Amino acid sequence: MKILSFVLDHLVWLILAAVLAAFCVSIENFFQVQIFINILRQSTFVGILSLGLCLAILAGHMDLSIESVMAFSATAASYLVATGGAGRDWPVSIAFTLLVSLVCGLLVGLFNGILVVYLRINAFIVTLSAYIGVRGLGLVLTQGESIYGLPEAFRKVATVDAKGIPLLVLILVFLYAVFHVLLTRTKLGRYIYLIGGNESAPFRAGIPVRGILLLVFALSGVLAAFAGWLLAARTGGSTANLGIGMLFEAFAAVVIGGVSLKGGEGRLTGVFAGVLLLSSIDTAINVMAMPAYTMQVVRGGLVLAAILLDSMKHAVHKRFL
Amino acid sequence: MRLRGWRGLLWGACLALAAALPAHGQRPERKGNLYYLVPTLLDEFQTESVKCMESVFASIGYRVKTLDGQNRSDVQLNQLDDVILLKPKAIILAAVDFDAVVPGIQKARGAGIPVLVFDRQIRSTPSDLTSVAGTVEIGHLAAGEIQKLLEKRHGAVRGKVLQVLGDPGDNYTLDIQKGFEEKMRRFQDVKIVTKAALQWEASNAGDIVESQLLVNPDIDLIFVHAAHLAVPVVSILEGSGKKPGDVMLVSSNGAPVGLDLIRKGWEQAEVEQPLYAQVVGLAMFADKVIAGEPLKPGSYDVLGIPSQLTEEAWGMNLKIPGAVITEENVDDDRFWGNGKPPKAGVQIVQ
Repeated sequence: MKILSFVLDHLVWLILAAVLAAFCVSIENFFQVQIFINILRQSTFVGILSLGLCLAILAGHMDLSIESVMAFSATAASYLVATGGAGRDWPVSIAFTLLVSLVCGLLVGLFNGILVVYLRINAFIVTLSAYIGVRGLGLVLTQGESIYGLPEAFRKVATVDAKGIPLLVLILVFLYAVFHVLLTRTKLGRYIYLIGGNESAPFRAGIPVRGILLLVFALSGVLAAFAGWLLAARTGGSTANLGIGMLFEAFAAVVIGGVSLKGGEGRLTGVFAGVLLLSSIDTAINVMAMPAYTMQVVRGGLVLAAILLDSMKHAVHKRFL
Repeated sequence: MRLRGWRGLLWGACLALAAALPAHGQRPERKGNLYYLVPTLLDEFQTESVKCMESVFASIGYRVKTLDGQNRSDVQLNQLDDVILLKPKAIILAAVDFDAVVPGIQKARGAGIPVLVFDRQIRSTPSDLTSVAGTVEIGHLAAGEIQKLLEKRHGAVRGKVLQVLGDPGDNYTLDIQKGFEEKMRRFQDVKIVTKAALQWEASNAGDIVESQLLVNPDIDLIFVHAAHLAVPVVSILEGSGKKPGDVMLVSSNGAPVGLDLIRKGWEQAEVEQPLYAQVVGLAMFADKVIAGEPLKPGSYDVLGIPSQLTEEAWGMNLKIPGAVITEENVDDDRFWGNGKPPKAGVQIVQ
C-alpha cells in the first residue's frame, strides 16, 4: 500500500519519466543533454505563470489575468529602454525596468485581490476582466506597435548561462524551491492550504484569511510580471500578442500536476513536473517534425492523455487507499 | 464551396509544379533535411508557402520539414533552439517577429547551419540569403494604386480611406502600413482612418467596417491588409445596400479570394506577393548557400520575373517585385491566386 501511495503521489513524475524515455527511444536525436536543457529553458515562462496560478488555486480561487499581466509587464519594461518600434530608449537601468514590471504585476494582483476579497466578486469574473483589460493596456501604451531593440544587457538575462545551465533555468528552479519551502514548511503555506480547503473554518480559527488571499493574488501578479520581464529578455522586446495562449498551458500544467481546481490540494513539485511534461511534448513535436497541420491535435491529445492518467490516479486513490 | 475549390486547385497546382520541377523527370538525389519555420498556419499565404516549399525543395533533392510558430515569437525561438540540435542542412525562416528571432539566427549560424530568410526581411543580423517581396514595398504599390483610384473618382487625389490592418502585433501588417502611409503622406486631401483587426480575425475586420460606415459614411475606399479580411467587408457593403464599386476595395497578398472579388467587381485592386517566385528564388541558390559558396550579386530571372540579388548589411538579398492585380490582368497565370504556376523547373545557380 505504501508503494501504491508513493506511486500515486508522484504519478506525474513517473509519467514524465515514461514519456521522456519513450521520446528518447523513438525519436531520432532526442536523447542529448542540450535537448533536456532546451526543455527546461522553454519551461521558464509557463513554469513561473503556473507557480502563481497554483498559489491562487490552492487558496481556492483562480487568476485568469496572469497571461495578460505577463504580456503587459514585458511591454512596460521594453517600452522604457528599447530603441525600436514604440520603445522610448529612456536612460534607465535594467533593474529599474524590473522594478516597474513587478510593480505593474503587484498593482494588478492587488486590484484583483481587493475586488475578490473585500467586494466579494467572483474571482473568475474579476480576473477574466483583468485578462481582457490588461492585454488592452499594452495596446494603449504602444498603439499596437511592436517594441524591439532591447539593450544587450537586458537580452543577456535570457542568454547567459552558468556552466552550461541557462540563467532562466536557474531562476525557475530557484523560484520553485523557494515556494515549495514556503508552502510546505511555513505557517503561511499551511494557511493557504487551509483557506483553499474551507475558507470559513480558518476564519473562525482567527487566521487572517483576507490578508492571506490578498497576498496570494499579489504574489500571482508579481510572479506573472516577472515571467513577462524574462520573456521580454528572451524575445528582445514585446508585441501585442506576446505569450498568447500561455494561460491555458499554465492551467494544463497545474491540473496535470495534480492540483485540485477546488482548492486546498496539490503539490508544487507536481506542477513543476506538469510544466516539464508540456515542454517535453512541445520539444518532441519540434524534433519529430510531424506534418505541421497535425501538431496542435497531437499536442492536445497528449495533454488530454496526461490529464486522464491523473484522473485515474484519483480514482485509484479513492478506491484502494 | 468556392473557397474550397480554389484551395484544391492551388494544392493541385503545387503538386503539378513539384511534378514539373525535377529536371528531365529524374528522381533528384537526396541532399538532406531542411527545416521551414513558418510563422502561422492560419493564413492562406503561409499554408500555400508550406506546400510549395516542401514540393519545390523536394524537386531539387531536399526534404523540408515544417514547424508552425503559431504566431508566437517565443514558440519560434524554442523551435530554433530545438532544430539547431538536429543539424539540418539549412533553416528556412519566415519570422514571427523580425527582432525577437535574432538570437536564434545567430545561434544557428554559429552552429554552422545556414539560415535562409523567407518573405519577412530581417535586417538586424546577418543571414545567408533573404528572398523577399518587400512588405514595405507592398504598401508602396497599394498606395500607388489607391492614388490612381481616388484620382479617377474625384479628378484629384483626395477623399477618405479606411485602412484595416491585421493584428497590430504583427510586423507584416505594420510594414505595409508604413509603406502605404509613406507614399500617401504628401496627399493632404486624403484622410486615412486606420483600424486594426485583432488576430487577423475576419469578423473583426467586418465589425470595424460596419462601425466606420456609420461614423464615416463618406469613405471612398477600404484598404485591407489581407484578402481574407475583404470577405466580411464585402458582406457588410452588400448588407448596407452598396453596389460593387460604390466603396472601392483594395487588398494585399494575392490570395484566391481576393482575385475572385476582383472578378465580381467588389475589389478594384490586389497587391500580390510573388509566392512561387519567392520560394523558387531560395531554391535556386540553396545548393551554393549550403556549400558555403559566395553568391554573385546581379539580376536573375526567377520564374520569369526579373529580380535583383544584392549584397546588403544583413547578407545576400533577393528582392522579387510584387504586382498589382486589377480586372485587366486578373486571369494572368503568374499570380499564385490563380493556382497555375508556370511549368518551368528550378534553374539552380551554379
